[in-house]
Amino acid sequence: MAGAKPELLLSPQVQRLAALPIPMVMATKRADGRVQLNPIWFEHIDGAIWVNSNTHRSWPKHLQRDKEAALLLVDPAEPDRYAQIHARLVEVIPDPKHEFIDRLSRRYTSNLFRDLEPGEERITFKLEPVRVTGQMI
Amino acid sequence: MGVELSPKMQEFVKEVFPAFIGTSRKDGSVEQVPVWFEFADGSFWINGGTNRGWFKHLQRDPRITLLLVDPKQMFRWAQVQGQMVNWAEDPGGEHINHLSHRYFGRDYQNPRTGRIKIQIEPLRVTGSIDGWG
Repeated sequence: MAGAKPELLLSPQVQRLAALPIPMVMATKRADGRVQLNPIWFEHIDGAIWVNSNTHRSWPKHLQRDKEAALLLVDPAEPDRYAQIHARLVEVIPDPKHEFIDRLSRRYTSNLFRDLEPGEERITFKLEPVRVTGQMI
Repeated sequence: MGVELSPKMQEFVKEVFPAFIGTSRKDGSVEQVPVWFEFADGSFWINGGTNRGWFKHLQRDPRITLLLVDPKQMFRWAQVQGQMVNWAEDPGGEHINHLSHRYFGRDYQNPRTGRIKIQIEPLRVTGSIDGWG
């Protein structure tokens, strides 16, 4: 997970929020221009946002097409406090041994991820913050 | 044309948590914010101010996406693709006060001036409440 630090570091407030096991809202664009929103697991490591998905889902396809996404984190204790992170896709890493999804699953549930379904392929994305907006800049 | 929510969705939207909305900026990027919502008379209703970025986006492109997630169990979620079909002044902040009672059981604590209520017609629902789609 090591690597060059991204140019934009998250503020201490946003970093504290990103340390919590809360859902992140992944916003991508469908081919027809509509916004797609999905709640997903994530981990903030060394200034980057790491996520994982099943390659058959639609948001990973949108993300790989556009190479960017908007990510929303909301303070569960105070929903008026939120941060929207515009991020660019910097790395795509196949996860054939489902190591990274197991890591995320442990972060959220303390358990390993469920058994993969037949034909299910996992993939990991590294996203770098480009711009942060919202009430917790 | 709008769609009717399934019986399971009609129950889910009674639960009290913020909705996350997504609108499109002129450059195509997405703006997301958490908002209070209520589902009534077949539509989603949210409240805002005419100076909000997301409301300006909706005036240009009325397409809006709502994400509803149970904060205690994030695998219970629904995504609603919709469109703004109407908006109106909220004189005296009656609607924002109504939402404040839904969320906190008390009067709205902030200034009630300059507010508007927005009607969103659901066009397509996906997510775990109705089964994956």
